[in-house]
Amino acid sequence: MKKKLLSLLLATAMAASLAGCGGGGKSAADAMDETQEPVASGQEEQADRTQQESQAETESAKEGGGEAKELDTSERVDLVMYQLGDAPPDEEKIEEKINEILLEKVNATIDFQFSTWVDWQQKYSLQLTTGGVDLVYTANWSEYGTLANSGAFLPLDDLLDTISPDMKALIGDSALNQCRVNGELYTIPCNDMEYTSNGIIYREDLREKYDLPIPNTPENIEAYLLGIKENEPEQQLLDVSGQENMTTIFNFKYPWVTFTGIPYGLAINYETPAEVNDYWFSDDFTNDMKLMKKWADLGFWSKSALSNTPQEKALENGLSVMYFSGFNPSKATWVYKDVAEQHPDWKVEFIAFGETTGILFPANMQTNGTAISKDCKNPERAMKVLELLLTDKELNDLVMCGIEGEHYELDENGIYRNLSDKFGYGAMSTPNLRNKDIMILTEARAELNELSEKYAEIGAKTKYPNTDIYGGFTEDTTPYSTEYGAVQNVCDQYLKPLQAGMVDDVDAAVAQFREKLKEAGIETCREGFKEQWLAYCEEYGYK
Amino acid sequence: MKVKISKSMIVFQSIAYVLLALGALVCVAPFLIILSGSLTDDAVIIKDGYSILPRGFTLAAYETIFKVPGEILQAYKMTMFYTAVGTVLGLLMITLTAYVISRKEFKYRNQVSFLIYFTTLFGGGMIPWYLMYANVLNLKGSTFPIWFPGLMSPFLIILMRTFISESVPDAITESAKLDGAGHVTIFFRIILPVLGPGLATVGLFLALGYWNDWYRSSMFSVSQDTWELQFYLYNLLNASAGMKQMAQSANIAMTEIPTQSMKLAMAVVVTGPVLLFYPFVQRYFVSGITVGAVKG
Amino acid sequence: MLFREGFVQGKSMVKGQGVRMEERLERKIGGRKTGVVLTAAVSGFVFLLSLPFVSWVKVVNISSLFPKIGISRETAADLYQRYSVFNLLDFVQKGGQGEIGLYAMILLMLLMAAWYFNLAYLWKAARNKKRKDGDLGLYAAGRLAMLSMLLLAGASVGFVAFSNNRFGMKGFSASPVIYLLSVLCVMAYAVIKRMEKKERELYHEHGLLEEIRKNWVLFLMLVPTFVYFLINSYLPMVGIYYAFTNFNFRDGLWASPFVGMKNFEFLLKGDLFRLTRNTVLYNVAFILLGNVFQIIFAILVSQVSKKWFQKTSQTLMFMPYFVSFVLLKVLVYNLFEYDYGLINNIVTSLGGDRIDFYNTPAYWPFLIVLFNLWKGIGYGMVVYLASIMGIDGELYEAAKVDGANVFHQIRYITLPLLKPTFIILLLYSLGGIMKGQFELFYQMVGNNGVLYNVTDIIDTYVYRITMTQPLSIGLGTAAGLYQSVFGFVIVVVTNWLIKRKNPQYALF
Repeated sequence: MKKKLLSLLLATAMAASLAGCGGGGKSAADAMDETQEPVASGQEEQADRTQQESQAETESAKEGGGEAKELDTSERVDLVMYQLGDAPPDEEKIEEKINEILLEKVNATIDFQFSTWVDWQQKYSLQLTTGGVDLVYTANWSEYGTLANSGAFLPLDDLLDTISPDMKALIGDSALNQCRVNGELYTIPCNDMEYTSNGIIYREDLREKYDLPIPNTPENIEAYLLGIKENEPEQQLLDVSGQENMTTIFNFKYPWVTFTGIPYGLAINYETPAEVNDYWFSDDFTNDMKLMKKWADLGFWSKSALSNTPQEKALENGLSVMYFSGFNPSKATWVYKDVAEQHPDWKVEFIAFGETTGILFPANMQTNGTAISKDCKNPERAMKVLELLLTDKELNDLVMCGIEGEHYELDENGIYRNLSDKFGYGAMSTPNLRNKDIMILTEARAELNELSEKYAEIGAKTKYPNTDIYGGFTEDTTPYSTEYGAVQNVCDQYLKPLQAGMVDDVDAAVAQFREKLKEAGIETCREGFKEQWLAYCEEYGYK
Repeated sequence: MKVKISKSMIVFQSIAYVLLALGALVCVAPFLIILSGSLTDDAVIIKDGYSILPRGFTLAAYETIFKVPGEILQAYKMTMFYTAVGTVLGLLMITLTAYVISRKEFKYRNQVSFLIYFTTLFGGGMIPWYLMYANVLNLKGSTFPIWFPGLMSPFLIILMRTFISESVPDAITESAKLDGAGHVTIFFRIILPVLGPGLATVGLFLALGYWNDWYRSSMFSVSQDTWELQFYLYNLLNASAGMKQMAQSANIAMTEIPTQSMKLAMAVVVTGPVLLFYPFVQRYFVSGITVGAVKG
Repeated sequence: MLFREGFVQGKSMVKGQGVRMEERLERKIGGRKTGVVLTAAVSGFVFLLSLPFVSWVKVVNISSLFPKIGISRETAADLYQRYSVFNLLDFVQKGGQGEIGLYAMILLMLLMAAWYFNLAYLWKAARNKKRKDGDLGLYAAGRLAMLSMLLLAGASVGFVAFSNNRFGMKGFSASPVIYLLSVLCVMAYAVIKRMEKKERELYHEHGLLEEIRKNWVLFLMLVPTFVYFLINSYLPMVGIYYAFTNFNFRDGLWASPFVGMKNFEFLLKGDLFRLTRNTVLYNVAFILLGNVFQIIFAILVSQVSKKWFQKTSQTLMFMPYFVSFVLLKVLVYNLFEYDYGLINNIVTSLGGDRIDFYNTPAYWPFLIVLFNLWKGIGYGMVVYLASIMGIDGELYEAAKVDGANVFHQIRYITLPLLKPTFIILLLYSLGGIMKGQFELFYQMVGNNGVLYNVTDIIDTYVYRITMTQPLSIGLGTAAGLYQSVFGFVIVVVTNWLIKRKNPQYALF
């Protein structure tokens, strides 16, 4: 019995050894070497062939020029367009009308789907990750660059050339170029340039009343606020919160390349974009933070500011005298309107940062675009439908304003007047479909156009007229994503209190902040950023 | 002897009354604040903050809400539908499962319990869960993914199992089996009738889960027709924050941003009916006591 | 020579001659049945075969394969020609072959399972403990061991086929070890089955099929539950794979590059210790204080004599549960704010100094626990109340007759009878000890960096990170996995401890 057992075991052991023991073993590279040559030459041949093929292609494409390819519309296609925002009450009605026209023209329908305002960032990513949408709204503040880099959208150059060369001509190469990421185009911007040059809006009536200086520099702002505080001690001055703080006013001081802050505390001037300097580790920074603390101590804002959430309509409701964060001319027109309604005796004025520093530029075209998701099964049809929505007057009016007679009417000057609660101007949340050539104007728009002209003048005098240098740059943080995350954390914990002036000893807090930054790996981030930024400047010729 | 008992009883009872009254007050105060806020003029709130009593009494907020009642009513309808279907179905499934794993003759009790419990510990995360309903089952936009996930939870199953094993001693089920009763009979004739408090408790938790849920609407709804109440409220509260972001670019229709008092009024409308409903459910606890007494 | 001899003898052993074979198997060697020894030997042997030094998968046609799937000469220097299941993922990671990553991970998990079951079987066979159901437990373990190994083998072969399909050419080949192993396992399985049948006759036990036939009603009752958990929990569990990938859109969810533990590194860099400490401490406070207060108030409510008071107070105390966190945040802010908050107004009117709540971290642990208590007390109270209601009234009567006053009654009747409920709830909460109440923390603290040291929990930290990076599926899942593993360990240990003292209270 035992013997038989043993022999069986031995037998199997031998069999096993024949089968080959030992994982690992020789490196695979060696095997590659063995038959390297034939493969290499085979590849070369292939390369030659493809080169010849592509040459032939480009030649034929050049001949093709500006004519659109015939689109095969034999099969009906149902497309989904994903927008950020809420569905308007009359969404169905308007979609019906739109689809009537679309079916006739290109045998397709469109269904607008909305992310709602709850968790919209998460849902936006989720939608792209799990697929199911064809056309997607994109914006540079909604991670357009990162998503494009990562392959969430289809490259559009070919589609544009073959399907919608007219639209391409309409929007123009310079606008399209601003939307390129690593040379590839992933989104079609709306056809509307806007000056979202940031600035502040303030109570002009109070300024006049107490004869205070115009708040267009940090010193003047201090004088302005102090003046109001002395004369009206009950008046709350600023609605500072954990998300929005007064450091934006330093845009009056520094002629930087962007108004919303350069990452990693770097400093790049608009006029000299290829020079990358430091801000956070400089004395300027310490002094600026000391100013913030001074203001906090003077009582310009609440001590609980850090946990506060911004109050809507703080200025209109008398809770603040100045809006300082993310304010641009178009928002300003809304405020003018509200104030005129609620407090006719007040006056408010908007000053762009550029009026002091001379740096003004229109918003980067990436602010509102439409992309085609990589899972789209009918990219050609999607492109065509997009073109129609953007350039066909009937469709564009439907999407932006609704049904004439039911939702709106035009007054004697052709200005838009709203008729129904169920659909306001732009209620379909589609700023990416704005087309300045055919759009119906609103009153606010008319005012805006005035401001835009004023700024265009100032902007034309800059070194790179009417170009948003920073807006076209996308940073790819994946090589140093760990450090990036860590730095963000440090900022949340140590920078925000400094910016809100909520520290006891500024010097000590700044020192601690700097130390934590170093620990988190800020150098790595800066190196990475610099490299990419300089390459970008090189490519576009910004010196 | 009797004097002693009643004295300690009195002491105890007075402590109880005081503590409970305090507790109730602390719990209720915020609701009063919300209620009063919804009835206060918006400007007053913004200037002076909240308080227990309304100042500047006005019904403006409610007027605005009920101007377009269609949306809220639809949300109400849907939420009641989900709650009703989900609670009944879920209760049935939970009780059946709890019954099975409480049976000593079921050989795989422990394994099944473990498998159920295990799901609370590990999970693939939100994305594969979403993919399951949206892509694999292709049910996005329908009501299925809104009520289905809420049917059971391991916590409730185990809770119910405890109720069953406590309320029904083995002796009774043993004698029933000897009399030739099958599982179905035992379940419906013996277990269910005495399970009053258990059913009420678990049912309450289930119903509350459905009533308070907003997440599933957020993920799976395609049109406003299938929204749950809480999501409707949440969306409203978030609208202004989101719109601000969008209005970075010009000409977004800044539709009416809800004012402070309107938000509170919305909260009252959404939560109010449930609060009124609860006292009626409480009745079943009382009946549970009676059953217990009779059984004794 | 030996080979042939062994083969012949093996054949005769396997073919068996009915009863004689069974007898042989039943005969004991060293106190254990021969069959057990044999199969244990097989188990040990296949276990050895599955260890990392035996390669199961060979990489073939390298010179044409690597260029095709995009592996350069440099990368190839890190790769091998043979792999065991254990380091297959290495190939995936270094070679950038995200597509087969999920399958490789599944193989790894199966490997772990197979190791566990085989070792368990060996251990059980070695200990040879006498149990009340004879050797049935042993056989069950044995079958499980063989099945798991078979599954692993089958899956490996499938992996090879799948990968080759993906490559579009023959790049992997399964080593003969797999086939040998499968044969052995099948043989051992048959042996165990044979012995089990005999043992079952002895003990009047049944296998699964028999069980189903006997208690089919019970199984039927479980079907809906089974479906539910399958759809809602078990199938989605595959997503744990994301924790090990670096997601990008081009490759999609299932083919993104496998990066091993990189995501966990990131978590570690982000003060994992601090986060774990906060999460655990808060949860401990929530659980203990919460349950204690819930029990106290439940008892109070049940003892109060006036019915209307009972009902009212309970209803009122339940109400905080309905307040959504968003609303709560607004309320809290208006209570604690520095300039206009209600509390500061009261303090100053009483002559004190304003308290700066939002900038002083020290207050917050207490405040957060307080809010959580406030919100949850009515909710938890319901469970305890229901339990108390279920207690037989006669017990109290009897106690009263014996002269026990109220406090005695509570101490000796109510509390002990509430113990099972308490333990169940406790155990259940422990499983979630690493998960925080995200909403509570997020809404209360907002973006106030000053308070992060004391109020940041894993969930809020990950949320902040994922909000700023849309490609962070991997991070989120990794954090979730970390939480789960930790919680799992805690629960298993606690459950085991409880089982030793009072088996009926244990969760499983």
